[in-house]
Amino acid sequence: MSTWRQFIPEWLSPAVLAVFVAAAAVLHALPYVVALSPYDHNQLTLAFLFIATALAWNWIGGFAGQISFGHAAMFGVGGFAAARALQMQVAPFWVPWLLGGLVAGAYGLAWGHPTLRLRGPYFSIATIGVGEATRLVLTYWQGFTGGASGLALPINAQLKYSLYWYALYFLALVAIASYAIRNSRLGLGLLSIKSDVEAAADVGVPVVFCQDLVLFLSGAVVGVAGGIYASYFSFIEPSDMFGFDRSISFVLMAVIGGVGTVFGPGLGAVVFVLLRQFLIASYPQLYLGLYGLLLVLVVLFEPLGISGLIFRVARRLRPHRGAT
Amino acid sequence: MARGLELLLSAVLLAGLYAMMAYGLGLIYGVLRIVNLNHGGMIMVGAYLGWYLHERAGIDPYLSLPIAAVVGFATGVVIYGGLVRYLPRGPAGGVQSLLLLFGVWLVLRNVAYLQFTGNDQAIRTDYSTKAVVVLGSALSLNRLIVFALAALLLVALDLLLTRTYLGKAIRAVAQNADSCRVAGIDVERIYTFTFGFGTALATMAGLLLGTLFPFNPTFGAGELLKSFVIVVLGGLGSVLGTAVAALILAIVEVFAILLLPAYLTGAVGFVLLVLVLIFRPGGLFGQRVLG
Amino acid sequence: MTLLRVENVSKSFGGLKAVDQVSLELRKGEILGIIGPNGAGKTTLFSIIAGSMPASAGAVFLGERRLSGLRANGVVAAGVVRTHQIVRPFTNLTVLENVTVGAMFGSPSTRHNPRARAHEELAFVGLAERAHHLPAGLTLVARKRLELARALATGPKVLLLDEVIAGVNPVEAIEMTKLIRVIRDQRGISIIMIEHILAALMSVSDRVVVLDYGKKIAEGKPAEVVRDAKVITAYLGEEHAKSNGGIRGPAAEKSP
Repeated sequence: MSTWRQFIPEWLSPAVLAVFVAAAAVLHALPYVVALSPYDHNQLTLAFLFIATALAWNWIGGFAGQISFGHAAMFGVGGFAAARALQMQVAPFWVPWLLGGLVAGAYGLAWGHPTLRLRGPYFSIATIGVGEATRLVLTYWQGFTGGASGLALPINAQLKYSLYWYALYFLALVAIASYAIRNSRLGLGLLSIKSDVEAAADVGVPVVFCQDLVLFLSGAVVGVAGGIYASYFSFIEPSDMFGFDRSISFVLMAVIGGVGTVFGPGLGAVVFVLLRQFLIASYPQLYLGLYGLLLVLVVLFEPLGISGLIFRVARRLRPHRGAT
Repeated sequence: MARGLELLLSAVLLAGLYAMMAYGLGLIYGVLRIVNLNHGGMIMVGAYLGWYLHERAGIDPYLSLPIAAVVGFATGVVIYGGLVRYLPRGPAGGVQSLLLLFGVWLVLRNVAYLQFTGNDQAIRTDYSTKAVVVLGSALSLNRLIVFALAALLLVALDLLLTRTYLGKAIRAVAQNADSCRVAGIDVERIYTFTFGFGTALATMAGLLLGTLFPFNPTFGAGELLKSFVIVVLGGLGSVLGTAVAALILAIVEVFAILLLPAYLTGAVGFVLLVLVLIFRPGGLFGQRVLG
Repeated sequence: MTLLRVENVSKSFGGLKAVDQVSLELRKGEILGIIGPNGAGKTTLFSIIAGSMPASAGAVFLGERRLSGLRANGVVAAGVVRTHQIVRPFTNLTVLENVTVGAMFGSPSTRHNPRARAHEELAFVGLAERAHHLPAGLTLVARKRLELARALATGPKVLLLDEVIAGVNPVEAIEMTKLIRVIRDQRGISIIMIEHILAALMSVSDRVVVLDYGKKIAEGKPAEVVRDAKVITAYLGEEHAKSNGGIRGPAAEKSP
């Protein structure tokens, strides 16, 4: 065992690594081993995307403690940039996704640099403004978004099937990044900023750089997800990509799963996807209210959402554990 | 020139309403240090309330104002007593309260969708289209009435806060809640009352807005942002500061519509918000406490 | 040899002059005390030196390097760090993690093995057994030690201590004073300390500066300053009566 340990960075726990590799292997093999219906296969693809976006949102919302109600802005910018690149037949097809991510990240940096100096509710309300302004302005920029009617891409069933694996590996990268950030210097710096931004600066944390960097990364990931989303649907429109509902979904996934935990938002995303499927099938007109209710319940009873519940159970099973 | 004057006058009329609308948000923030993200939700409720009473019971919307006040106050008290009260105070509670009140807003939006569908509604009375000529400009009668009512309410508000015991207690709690507890003031009661009061103001503002603009369940987001701009720009507490900030916003808006292409005007409020937050987070008057 | 130089620094808040043309020098290896009545501008001065607040006029230098204009984290990287009058631990991080932040982001010399460095500092202040506790579970004196450890972890040349001793019992105060001496003697860190427990400050400072209403009204060796008429009228007179003979306390008895 000890010789193995040498090859793994000090901050990486072997247990986590094992679980991660196992999960990746299982999910990779799943469509070959189990006869998934096309619907389920596609739902899983989307789920991978949502989990990735939730994890990335959490970097700025959970680690840095700056709640963004406007992340759809980057999702849309990335999605449309990628779609445009795909239309121009930039190849191979994953280059447009990366392009989308870069453009989205840069956009995040542009509005984020001045607004991140705001704390708490001030920042959050500014993000509502950014999200909505982006939607309004870009909806009318036909050259970029094709106007209110959106953009269509050539349909490629073969590609859509293989998106499952592209989304899965995208998610794997984002999950690794999430874990790495949390355990790195950047992660500790962000948490200290979250706790007390002035005290953090007073012990040398480069506040502006850390926040800018994490918003760029978060925006870029969400932008790539937007690009993959565009390839998946072969059609995207501004009201869906930039909509307030979409921004809400990122917040909700992270809150349900556990804002600030490393993988909680991923769990939240899974619940969110399942919930959405159930609601679309049975009570499509109640989804907003249910989301709202969930937010209220989580805040009042279990601020760390599902992760919080898991921690409670874990503490009961291992009571001698010290401070978490 | 005449056009300019007309725009200016309509900005002034709108400013009165904006000031009243923003004050509800500012009051809750000043006293409880909580940003009421459900502010937009209650504005939407107020608009629908006015519409409903007019459509179903034939009550003139302006006469329903007291009903809106009562409904708003009761709702605020329930939200505070049933939900907000349980949040941790201080920085930890900040994020929580945002999410909680946002959740409440989503629920209200859904209820509105179910009851009234997502279609645009408007409150139309017999006199909705009437205009009055003031200083050579034709001004909508509705806007004049709304301005008068808003101005009256603001004056009443100022008197309440400066002349009554309740008002002084509220201002004291805003400054230092702990000292108030020691002095024997029931701070929880004041919190409850303030939250109810702020919610009532939002609801009333919503009703008045509903007589001027079309609305649907998503109504309120833009108004929340505008309220926030005004609160930040005008500082907390002084009715005068709020009024001046509201006037500035209204003027910027009115002239933006004139100068910018249509699709950009919606973004004006938001851009202004971001600019204000970056450059003058202390507000024009530098005040941060009710006083 | 002058290490830190404050040149004619002033700070105004609206019409109020919190700091009024204050100049002082910190020599290498020195412990400089700053005293003065409440509101004299001491903490404001620290905030200016540490970069968390810009001066309205004047500048601060570390050696030849101009510190004014740098952000707080830049000042820390240059080698000057402050503690806070009311301690500000990161409540969401453990004691060890708190100190690790200092080690990770301090001056470049400390960054290559921050966790080991953090453990060392915790051992130095005597908090090693509490490494995995959260700050909320610590007593006040433990939290003050945590704040000190975190600051030390940044590898400073100059340490600005803002009332580290106030608020703890006399036994703990003596321990803290000893610790401060060790920091200067064994680690070669120069110190400026604000304190209003005069006995402690007088016994450990090489020189003392007195501020009143933002102005420097006296400077010199502790024994000289104590006898300065201006100082007594402005400050020591009341303090003498209030502190129940603080100057004649046990720490003063032990002063060299």
